[in-house]
Amino acid sequence: MNSTEIIAELQPIFADILDLPDLRLTAETTAPDVEGWDSLAHINLVGAIEKHYKLKFALGELQDLNNVGDMANLIIRKLGA
Amino acid sequence: MNDYSWQDLSVGLGATFEVLITAQMLDDFAQLTGDHNPLHMDQAFAQAAGFPGRVVFGMLTTSFYSRLIGMYLPGKRALLHGVNAEFKNPAQIGDRLSVSGEISYLNEAYRQIEVKARVVNQNGKIISKATLLAGLRGQ
Repeated sequence: MNSTEIIAELQPIFADILDLPDLRLTAETTAPDVEGWDSLAHINLVGAIEKHYKLKFALGELQDLNNVGDMANLIIRKLGA
Repeated sequence: MNDYSWQDLSVGLGATFEVLITAQMLDDFAQLTGDHNPLHMDQAFAQAAGFPGRVVFGMLTTSFYSRLIGMYLPGKRALLHGVNAEFKNPAQIGDRLSVSGEISYLNEAYRQIEVKARVVNQNGKIISKATLLAGLRGQ
C-alpha cells in the first residue's frame, strides 16, 4: 500500500473518532488544522489505528510524527516490518 | 480500591461488583442532576406508562461504570477518558445489578485501556452495555 491508500483508509477512522463526517485528510493535515483533534482524541485515534492495522506503536515513533502523511508512512513501515 | 500498575494489566483482566437499587438512589440522582421526570419519580405515572414501577434512570445505572474504572479496573490510578453506552432494558427499584468489565485492548504508547462492560440484573437481563476508555496515571 502507498501513502495515498493508507490516508484513504485513515479517513473514516478519523471521521468517526473526531465525529467529523465531512473531514478530508491530506498528507499535510496536522492536529491544529482539525477541530477537536486534541490530546485525548489523539490517544483514541492511535488506539483505533492500532486495532485497524493490528499493530502497536511505540511512544517514540508517535512523537516523531508531524502530520497525517508521516503517520501513513509509519504505518507502511510497520506493516512491512 | 484496586491499585493496578500498567505492568499488572492485560487483555482479559476483569472485575465485577453488585449494586442493590433503592428508591433513595433515584431520589438522590434526581436531586443531583435536576432530572425530575415523572417516569423516574412518580410510581403511578410510571405504571400508567406500562412499567411495573419507577424506572431507574439510565444514567444512574451507567454511573456505575465510573465506579468500575475508578475503584476496580484499574482503580486508584485511573482517569476515565470516555464512555460509549447503550441502554438495553430498564432497571427497577429492588433490582440487584451486577456491574462487570473486562480489558479488551491496551494502548501501550499512551497507557490507555479499553474495557468492555455491562450491567446485568438478577434475572440475567442486560440493562446496559458500554465501551469504556481510561488512562493510567503515573507508573
